[in-house]
Amino acid sequence: MGSLAQILVNGILLGSMYGIAAIGLSLIFGTMRIIFLAQGTMIVLFAYLTYWSFEKAGVDPYLSLFTVIPLAFVVGLGLFYLLFRKAAALEDKNVSLLLAVGLMYLIDNLILKIWGATPRGINLSYSGAMLVIGEIRISWLRLALLGLALASALAVYLFLKRTRVGTAVRAASEDMEATTLQGINSVWVCAISFAIGIALAGVAGVGMATVYSFDYQFGFIFAIKALVALALGGIGNVFGALAGGLLLGIIENLAAYYIGIAWIEVASYGVFMLVLIFLPQGLFGRRGLVKKV
Amino acid sequence: MSDQRVDDADVNTEMKLPPDGGGRSRRKLILAGLAALGVLFFATLPFYYDVHNGQFGVFFFNVFVYVIVAQGWNLVSGYTGQISLGQNAFFGVGAYTMALLWFNDVTKTGYYFDPVLMILAGVVPFILAVLVGVPLLSRLRGDYFAFGTLGMGMIVTVLFINGGMFTGGAEGRMLVPKMPEGVVFNLRTHYWVALLVAVLSTLVVYVMTTSRIGLALRAIREDEVSAASHGVNVLKYKVMAFAVGAFMAGVAGSIYGYYLLQVTPSNVLTSNWLFLPILMVVLGGTGTILGPWLGAFVIYLISWYGDSYFAGYHPIISGVVIIGVMLFLPSGLMGLGQKVPGLRKGGRGSG
Repeated sequence: MGSLAQILVNGILLGSMYGIAAIGLSLIFGTMRIIFLAQGTMIVLFAYLTYWSFEKAGVDPYLSLFTVIPLAFVVGLGLFYLLFRKAAALEDKNVSLLLAVGLMYLIDNLILKIWGATPRGINLSYSGAMLVIGEIRISWLRLALLGLALASALAVYLFLKRTRVGTAVRAASEDMEATTLQGINSVWVCAISFAIGIALAGVAGVGMATVYSFDYQFGFIFAIKALVALALGGIGNVFGALAGGLLLGIIENLAAYYIGIAWIEVASYGVFMLVLIFLPQGLFGRRGLVKKV
Repeated sequence: MSDQRVDDADVNTEMKLPPDGGGRSRRKLILAGLAALGVLFFATLPFYYDVHNGQFGVFFFNVFVYVIVAQGWNLVSGYTGQISLGQNAFFGVGAYTMALLWFNDVTKTGYYFDPVLMILAGVVPFILAVLVGVPLLSRLRGDYFAFGTLGMGMIVTVLFINGGMFTGGAEGRMLVPKMPEGVVFNLRTHYWVALLVAVLSTLVVYVMTTSRIGLALRAIREDEVSAASHGVNVLKYKVMAFAVGAFMAGVAGSIYGYYLLQVTPSNVLTSNWLFLPILMVVLGGTGTILGPWLGAFVIYLISWYGDSYFAGYHPIISGVVIIGVMLFLPSGLMGLGQKVPGLRKGGRGSG
């Protein structure tokens, strides 16, 4: 029993990363109706920046949250106005999809040029600290990651429910045309949700830097994982996306334990295909959204 | 190859789209003539140029292989509007089909460039595309099809890496010992086979898209609901385009496998075989018949010279090229040519 509980705990902790990324994807998809395939690459980019400031200036990764999040927000705004502003308004979503592919290609290879192909990771003085409950051992760092995920989900939820801009974002996710007719600036709404999505990539990047080792190829895989989490949880629901991430983490850990580490990917992509085919609205999503795509 | 469900009303509305009759057919004639001249040039090139030792032999061979994959993607994504992100899986499955059948002497012919193996290398991805395509294309469209095919590609890659004794795992299958005795590796054969298949696949796409099938495909691209309400069997045509595209990618994979003589997950299943053909089609002109050729030459030229002069930087350049094309030239280089005579812009992006 102890080992099963340990697997579940590990799964939830791993899944919190997927959850943060999936919330970002969900926000961007909600308003712009595109799946931002470069999300994983952005996460890796911010992980490298965190790593870099730790190596060069000794900044504690958790402290760099305060610089990375605003930076990511600004980068998001910049990317939106430079690349996606026109494409987001097009009926043909393939343009945005290919733009994201191009961006991913570009940043992945820039990272390769700057930092090389060796996997990087941060070794903190408190990396090995463990919380022990009975037979279950939990790394404090991973627990902090879960805390980050919950805090991000709560922050996005409060933003959507309690602020005027958040209300506009929600309205735009329901019906962009009607929202524009109400006098809401649709470009601004898209820009804000895109920037918040990238800011969440910043959060996930810091989290990744503290716990995992990463290299330039990791972004693509991670974007797919976030996408699987989003498909699993369902689009249009902040906590659904988080739950999808946690669920995916559990599935991967169970697969690693019962089938073998080499088969993790098959399990998660298999679940992805099954969800896409049989449950396109996801576990916690609203039905209407997928049909409108 | 006709289908009665595309009714005549649909044909008529589609016919009205290009407004000028005469100029278009003259343009077409010129293009066809140029294409024939080009094919003649490439087909006779080995007689006065040593393609085996000269560097342009390898260059053109690679371009032809990319053209085959790119035409397949062009059919499903350019003409039908269903973005497939699984072409590298079909390419790899084709290469592995050839390699494993040859390696285990299943056909017992022992030929080098066995046509049976090459056709099988297309048939297996074709079947895979139907199996994956029917459920994915019947429920969803747009982004979700793209990511479903992406998931398929990931699963296929991991399956081949974990295939153990059957696929040879990460080392793949070495085919050099299977070369029949007395056969000398000469790139000239590969060059001609690749050229032939590239021309054939272009013709297949041309014939399919100028027939009634093409009307159905473009109708689906422009407006799926409207196409369905005009009696187009949307699922059938989407799966057809997807599967034919997969067939082409598979045959291309087998040709490349014959060239490498070693098939591994890292050389036939990489994302290069996914993104570069897409880049080529997009740069050349999505949904145009010669766009993939133009794009393949330009992109491969960039990566060829990029590799020798700015080693390691060409993927960065490729990224910039994709972004630049999507921002400033979404209808590609062919679209640039069409703008000059003041022709109306094609349907893409305006729907």
